[in-house]
Parts: sequence; structure tokens; C-alpha cells
Amino acid sequence: MHESSIVDSLLSSVLEYVKPGERVRRIDVRVGVLSGVSPGAMQFCFEILREGTAAAEAELHISMEPLHVRCETCGGTSDLPEIELECPVCGKPSLEYMNGDELEIVSLEVDDGIGHHH
Amino acid sequence: MGSVITIEQKILKKNNELAEENRQRFDSHGVFVISLVSSPGSGKTSLLEQSLTILKKNLRVAVIEGDVQTDRDAQRIAAADVPVVQIVTNGTCHLEARMVQDALREMDLDEIDLLFIENIGNLICPASYELGEHLRVVIMSTTEGEDKPLKYPAMFRRSQVLVLNKVDLLPFLSYNLEEAKDFALRVNPALKIFETSCTTGHGIREWTEWLRSTARGRTWNVVSSLQ
Repeated sequence: MHESSIVDSLLSSVLEYVKPGERVRRIDVRVGVLSGVSPGAMQFCFEILREGTAAAEAELHISMEPLHVRCETCGGTSDLPEIELECPVCGKPSLEYMNGDELEIVSLEVDDGIGHHH
Repeated sequence: MGSVITIEQKILKKNNELAEENRQRFDSHGVFVISLVSSPGSGKTSLLEQSLTILKKNLRVAVIEGDVQTDRDAQRIAAADVPVVQIVTNGTCHLEARMVQDALREMDLDEIDLLFIENIGNLICPASYELGEHLRVVIMSTTEGEDKPLKYPAMFRRSQVLVLNKVDLLPFLSYNLEEAKDFALRVNPALKIFETSCTTGHGIREWTEWLRSTARGRTWNVVSSLQ
């Protein structure tokens, strides 16, 4: 399952932003509907791979970016939670996908490790 | 005290950077690189064998083989008298740019015109990982469902070419070829589609001719920019 490689890359990048002694509290990532990545599998891998790192207590928040589509027949635009072939407005199978491939680290929350409530 | 750091960076940035390094090396040596992806059992290796037999008559070809276990595919390619490097991942379900970079140490790019990278048989994981290739080819066979492109949109969207293989079996199947092509084009309208059979040879000439002219067009651009 490739989510373990992806989480491995995620953690490597995140840890580059952490100064010695700091702890990561929260990581926000953005995942697109067409990225081929399963958020559930990412969470699962994260819980395992974060152990022993400065992100061991971090929460991973994954936001699934809706699929922004434009219909070439009726010109209508919509935001869909998953891939569809037919336009929700006119029903024709002429949708253009404007996004969907996102796999991004959005932001981090770090603190100096003092006074946390875990 | 806590602080928020805005990052807005691709998770696979490092892989993409290595892929770009690979690509620049390929370009500076005038090598055209094609990666092949598919489900296991689509006939990817057979298609490659047949393509190499024809292409090697005019072009210097080489292969990087990716498999989870065994070097059986590399042996098949070697038997066709083509230089091949086998990557065995021992569990990782996809090739990454770093692995290709390692394999390149065993190859002399000055001796190669056309390099094929045969990825692990998997329609999910390889989609996320750029390798530095110029062209990505997805292979689908008539013994798989017509709706493969709908189920694996990431892979079909990241590819430029679709080869529909095993068309010789159509008389024995209830496979709807037009529907399969329709689904593929809906997920990626820019896909170039070839229909082939490794058993009868159908479509192989057309496919290799297109590859040859695409590769020549590419390497010509590189040479002319150096002058």
C-alpha cells in the first residue's frame, strides 16, 4: 500500500520545519479525489510512522478537496465529493475536471513541547 | 506556545525533484523514456518484448524492469538481446524516481536512444510517482472490465497513451471495446489509443511506428537546441 511511502515523505518534509525540542501538534494535508490516495490508509500509516519522531503526538487532518467540474455542454460548474461522469446540471457525460490531483501539506502547528495536555 | 507554519507544498516534492533530475539527464543524453503501467496480467511484458524486437532494428533500446519479486521479466528482455536492469523492490508496490536513478548507474545513456521503464503491475500506487519519463503508457486488456478507467482515474489521467491489448480474444468475450474506449476518453480526453494483440501481432506495427516517430521527434529537438 503506497500510503506508507506517502506518509514517509510527509513526515520527512514536516520534520524539516521543526526546530530541536519542538513538537508537532497538528498537520493539515489536502488530498484530491483523483489522487489515488485513501485518507483512511494515510491515517493508519501515520499513526504507525509518527512514533519516535517529533510528530508522535500530532493529529493528522486530511481534507478531501471537492472535485471542481465544468460541463462542456451546458457550461455549468459544480463541486462534487467524488468522480462522476455525468453533469449534475444537464446529465451529459461531458465533464471537464478542473482539479483533483492534490496531495499537499497545507500547514503545521508546532509548539515548544511545554504545557501540552496529553 | 504554539505557532502555525504555512507550508503549501506537495507531499511528493522530493520524488518530483528526483524525477526532474532524471529527466534532465535523459534530455542531455538524447534518450526518450517511456514508462509502462498496468494491472498484473495485461500483457505488459509481452507487449514490451514484441515492441523491442521491432524497435531495436533502428534504435538502440534498453529497459529498466520493476518487480516486487524475481528477475523473470528481466530474463525475458535479456533473451530478446536488449540491455536490461532489474529493480526488485521486495515489497514496495511502485517504482520511485530514486530507484530509477539507482538503476541508471548501471547504464550508459550515451548508448541508448529509447529507454522503457516497466513499472510494477499495479494500477493504483505508481500513479502518484513521477519517474522522469517523457511518456506514460497505460495498458489495459480485453479480459479486464471496460470500466477500468473509471475505477482507476488517477492512472488513466496521468498517462498519455492507452494500449488496449489482447484484441484477438474479442470473439470469445462479451467485452464492449467501444465502451471501454469511451470510458477511457471521458476520464482523459487527450489519451491516444492503440489496439493490439501480442498473439496475432495486430496493431504492433502501428504502435511501434508511432513510438519511433515520437522518439525521433523528441531527440531531434534536443540535438537542434545544442547547435
